[in-house]
Amino acid sequence: MSEPRLISGYLAILAAQLPAPIVEELADGLIETHRFYVRQGLSPDLAAKSAVAEFGKPEAIVAGFIRVNPARRAARRLLGLGPLVGACWAVALLTGGRGVWSVPLAARILVLMALAAVVGLLAAAALGSRYRRAARSGTAGFLGVIALDAVLITGVVFAGAPLTWVLAGAMAASAARISLAVRALRPAPAG
Amino acid sequence: MRAEELKGHLDAMLLAALEDGPQHGYAVIEALRQSTGGRLDLPTGTIYPALRRLEQAGLITGSWSVVGGRRRREYRLTAAGSRALSGRRADWRDFSAMVTAALEGRPCPSPA
Repeated sequence: MSEPRLISGYLAILAAQLPAPIVEELADGLIETHRFYVRQGLSPDLAAKSAVAEFGKPEAIVAGFIRVNPARRAARRLLGLGPLVGACWAVALLTGGRGVWSVPLAARILVLMALAAVVGLLAAAALGSRYRRAARSGTAGFLGVIALDAVLITGVVFAGAPLTWVLAGAMAASAARISLAVRALRPAPAG
Repeated sequence: MRAEELKGHLDAMLLAALEDGPQHGYAVIEALRQSTGGRLDLPTGTIYPALRRLEQAGLITGSWSVVGGRRRREYRLTAAGSRALSGRRADWRDFSAMVTAALEGRPCPSPA
């Protein structure tokens, strides 16, 4: 049975803003709702009107999915962890010996610029009002977190900095953040 | 019942709708409609993000199947979901007993 234009138009609005698996699930529900009203004796067009009215405004559905976007949640978690991991590294660098500071100034500036870019991407994912854009920003941000923390850990190792408890703590915090970012990169369960 | 009044209770109602076995989104909505005697006044499209939230919380799990040429996502309660549902039921009984007692001027029964 082909679905009325109202149904396909409604689904097209959702498809423009949400990933295909989510839209497939919504389409299944909407088509079932339409069939329910047809079985009740309504004409296909009237049944489509009733089904769409019952489903609610597309904006409300999209907003609901944006709130549960896994990229958004993971980005918020990583942003929340940022100050803690940053503080660990700040203490490690301030209390570390010359080895830590032997990293060239240009490299340190580069890391700081990369950090700013990653924070920007995570913020866009955490606060974004578009599902797909938030997911893309999140993916880029998660990859950035992994790269940054890996650079920090390997940089300190190659700089030959003496391993203190504080430095070990900072490295452990970065490793934990890498693990969180890797988990955030896994596809969402519904995908 | 309006959507605003449902806030905080929808998750438990969705878990309860899945207690008897796996259901797809539309069947969950139907189960809710039946169990509430058709008094549930909620845009049914908003049930789907709620199901996704419960899935992310590990309270339900979803899997795809193909029915009538269409992909369909079916949800089932996890062990954690069953435990959460039991807890929510107990909380609701205590809460409703307390509010009923307060509204009707009766002594509040002690919690179970």
